[in-house]
Amino acid sequence: MRKAFIYFALLVVTVFVLGPFIWMLSTSLKPSGEVLTATPTLWPHPVEWSNYAAAWKSAPFARYFLNSLFISGVETLFDLTLGAMAAYAFARIEFAGKRPLFLALLATLMVPGELLLIPNYITIAKLHWMSTYQGIIVPWLVSVFTIFLMRQFFLSMPGEIFEAAELDGLNPVRTLFQIVMPLTKPVWITAGLIKFIGSWNSFLWVVVVSNSQSLDTVPVGLMNFTSDVGTEYNQLMAAATFCMVPLAIVFLIGQRYFIEGIARSGIR
Amino acid sequence: MMTLKARRTLSAYLMLLPTLVLLGAFTLYPIVESFVISFFRWDMISPHKQFVGFQNYVQIFQDPLFHRAVVNTLMFVVLYVPIVMALGLAVALLLNAKIRLRGLFRTAIFLPYVTSIAATGILWQWIFNDQFGLLNVLLRQIGIRGPDWLNTPQDTMICLVTLSVWQSLGYVSVLFLAGLQNISREYYEAARVDGAHGWDLFRHVTWPLLSPTTFFVLLMSTIEAFKVFLPVYVLYGATDGPNDSGLTMLYYMFTEGFSDYRMGYASASAYILFVIILACTLLQMTLQRRVHYES
Repeated sequence: MRKAFIYFALLVVTVFVLGPFIWMLSTSLKPSGEVLTATPTLWPHPVEWSNYAAAWKSAPFARYFLNSLFISGVETLFDLTLGAMAAYAFARIEFAGKRPLFLALLATLMVPGELLLIPNYITIAKLHWMSTYQGIIVPWLVSVFTIFLMRQFFLSMPGEIFEAAELDGLNPVRTLFQIVMPLTKPVWITAGLIKFIGSWNSFLWVVVVSNSQSLDTVPVGLMNFTSDVGTEYNQLMAAATFCMVPLAIVFLIGQRYFIEGIARSGIR
Repeated sequence: MMTLKARRTLSAYLMLLPTLVLLGAFTLYPIVESFVISFFRWDMISPHKQFVGFQNYVQIFQDPLFHRAVVNTLMFVVLYVPIVMALGLAVALLLNAKIRLRGLFRTAIFLPYVTSIAATGILWQWIFNDQFGLLNVLLRQIGIRGPDWLNTPQDTMICLVTLSVWQSLGYVSVLFLAGLQNISREYYEAARVDGAHGWDLFRHVTWPLLSPTTFFVLLMSTIEAFKVFLPVYVLYGATDGPNDSGLTMLYYMFTEGFSDYRMGYASASAYILFVIILACTLLQMTLQRRVHYES
């Protein structure tokens, strides 16, 4: 009885959460005449796959995907490399000034990113980086979240590994990438996924710092597409679908790492 | 010959160097910089910045639109935070029961959180559509003529809160679920031996032991709520809703900065928001210290 209630309640929640996506898929496959009706169907007649082709051709979506892939890829690569090095220093090296530096890092977590929007915009303008890839990418190459996540992981490793490496005369960078990295794959996957997905979805900064369509990322391009197409909801939903599906697949493949990484950020 | 300690310090700083440079340039410097420009009048084009003292702050506090933005933001916070927390906790409690397919439910509920707000914004525009949107179609089934959600100022907050709760529910649930799974089974067994069950178990074991997580979620969602901007931007097609009903504090800053290019004025409004968020953080940290349960 109690079990039945739990399953039922979870089903209701799932319908609330996934219902909109199903509605999106359904609309995306409807012929135009079937979209704006007072008694809509769930299953389109006939199934209009051409909506996807039409939407794809109405805007340079291939370009948007390449931009997103490049921007998120570069940011993730740098974030992991630089973040792991910083995390290693904080977790495994005793050095002068460690405590105040770490506290300063902690303090930056209290600052809302939106406060940085205007001064960073000014900095990018001063560097003449407006509407360039470097203007979009460089401010987000490191994230404090990644440093904390990795530091936590490195701290929990047995000390003998590091002592042995130091005795062998390995410098810390080589210890990190040759010995520690292969042993700590999950945390790299977790941090990488969280950074990649966050970077892929980030939206405001690109809007602010670029006014060139050739640099637009998928979310920005999709938003502009909306104002162009107006109320052709079947095409809009088709575009929204193909824009979200690749990332949804990435998430589904790595969901265990992703969700557990998020969950760990809440346990203190 | 360097001492071991000096050599370690050197290599540590070499490893930290890129991070420190980037964080310095794009996080620490901006915090100072935006505080400084908040005392100037500057349009970014002219090379000259005019020092105006506290005038930007005074003007902001006298601007009726800013009052509007504060009221709207507070309304959003007051609606969004309790709803998302109550629902998130409820879902987490359901997921924490011994059930099959837990992973599947968890993944499904989490999906909106990883979906770009650009896509979900368009989707919910369509759902809120006056005549043909899913919401009003469903309401019509039970004999209710739904309002024109996106063009009725009174409904703006409902739309924004619905979209935001839907998008963040999975995130909040996962945080709560992690907190629940952190509570040792022994406490429940001990309480059961004492004859507690059902609601008592929740009130005397789960709730107090979950309080660190609850405070963390409360803090995170309050901060998020004060910074609400993108749901407005995407749902109302880069406007602030009918009759400024979706004008939030961040939206106010965004317009001043990136439409009107009043950089000093916009920075001042950003700092006001920052101070509010900081105050919330400190307040909740103080409260948490007072309401601390030994586990």
